[in-house]
Amino acid sequence: MTDDSFFEELSSATEAELGKMARTPSRLKAKVFSALLAQQAESGPLLSVSGCEASGRPLCVFEKAVEILPVGERIKSLNFCRVCHARVAAEKMERAPIFWPHCPYSEFQNR
Amino acid sequence: MLTSMGEVLRPAEGEIRCISDSINCGRLWPIGGRNVLSRASHSSNEPGAAASASDDAALVAAVLQRDRKATAEFLSLHADSIYSYVRSRLIPRADLVDDVFQEVFLAAWQGLAGFRGASSLRSWLLGIARHKVEDYYRLKLREALPIETEEGDPLPLILEPELDQAVDLWRLTQKVQQILGTLPEAYSLALLWRYWENCSAAEMAAKTGRSEKAVERMLARAREQFKSRWKGE
Repeated sequence: MTDDSFFEELSSATEAELGKMARTPSRLKAKVFSALLAQQAESGPLLSVSGCEASGRPLCVFEKAVEILPVGERIKSLNFCRVCHARVAAEKMERAPIFWPHCPYSEFQNR
Repeated sequence: MLTSMGEVLRPAEGEIRCISDSINCGRLWPIGGRNVLSRASHSSNEPGAAASASDDAALVAAVLQRDRKATAEFLSLHADSIYSYVRSRLIPRADLVDDVFQEVFLAAWQGLAGFRGASSLRSWLLGIARHKVEDYYRLKLREALPIETEEGDPLPLILEPELDQAVDLWRLTQKVQQILGTLPEAYSLALLWRYWENCSAAEMAAKTGRSEKAVERMLARAREQFKSRWKGE
C-alpha cells in the first residue's frame, strides 16, 4: 500500500468521527450575533421590534417594552441588544445566568 | 487497535452505513471537501427538500430585512455544523477556530443577497467555511513552502499498514487529532488539505503559487513525520 492510499484510508475512516457535531460555545454565538447585528445596523436600520413581532418571532421583555412605547419606528429599529446586560453576560460567560424568554442571548446558552 | 502504523482500520460495514445515515439526517456535517458539498446539494432532490428550501428562502429574506430575531435563528440553526467543520479542519490551530467561525458568518451576511437557493443554506454556509479554511491553508503553506524547497530529498517512504482490521474509531480519531495537533502547523494543514479536503498536490500548488514538486516534497515530509509519531506511540 502506498502512502497516499494509507492517508486516504485514514481520512476516510476518521472523517465521520472528526466531523461529529460539536456544540458551538455559547459565548462565541453571542459574540458573532452581536457582530452580525452591528454589521446590519451599519448598513441600514434594523427591522423595528414591531416588524419582528409581526413576522411571527416573539419579543423579549425589553423589546416588548420598547414596542409599546409611543415612539416612532426609527427608534424602534435601534439595536437595543447593544446596551443590554444579557449581551454583556452572554459574551463573557459560557453559562450566563440569563433566562429571559425570547432573548437570543439566553437562547444561545448551552444548558 | 491502534498500537502501530499498520493497524489503522476501516470501520465495519454496519458502521459505515450508520455514519452515512447520520450525515443524511444532518447530525454530522458533511465532510470531504467537494464530494461532501455535492452530496449535500443532492439532498434537494429528496422528499422534504422543497419545504426545507422554502424555509431557507423565508429565513434568508427575513435576515436580509435585518430582522434581529431571524438573524439569531439563522445563527442558531447553522452554528454547530459550521463550528464542527472549522474545528476539525484547523486541528493544529484551535485558537483560530473562533475567528474563522465569525468570519464565515460575517461573510455570509455580506453575500446573503446572492443566495439563490441552488443548494441548502447549510451547504452554502459550508462552502463559505471551506473557502475560509482554504484561505488559511493557502497562507500558511505559501509561507512554509520556500523553506521546503531548500531542503534535500524526502526520506524514503515505506509503509505497509494493514487497513482491513476492526477499528476503534474513536481512539483512531483521537490519535489522528493528537498527531496533527503536534506536527509543525504547515505539515498538519498540508495533510488536512490533501487528504481530508481531497485537494490534489497540483491544485494545492496552483492555489499557493508554488511548484507541484515543492508541494509533493512538503507532503512527503509531513507524511514522514506523521508516521514516525504514529509508530512512536
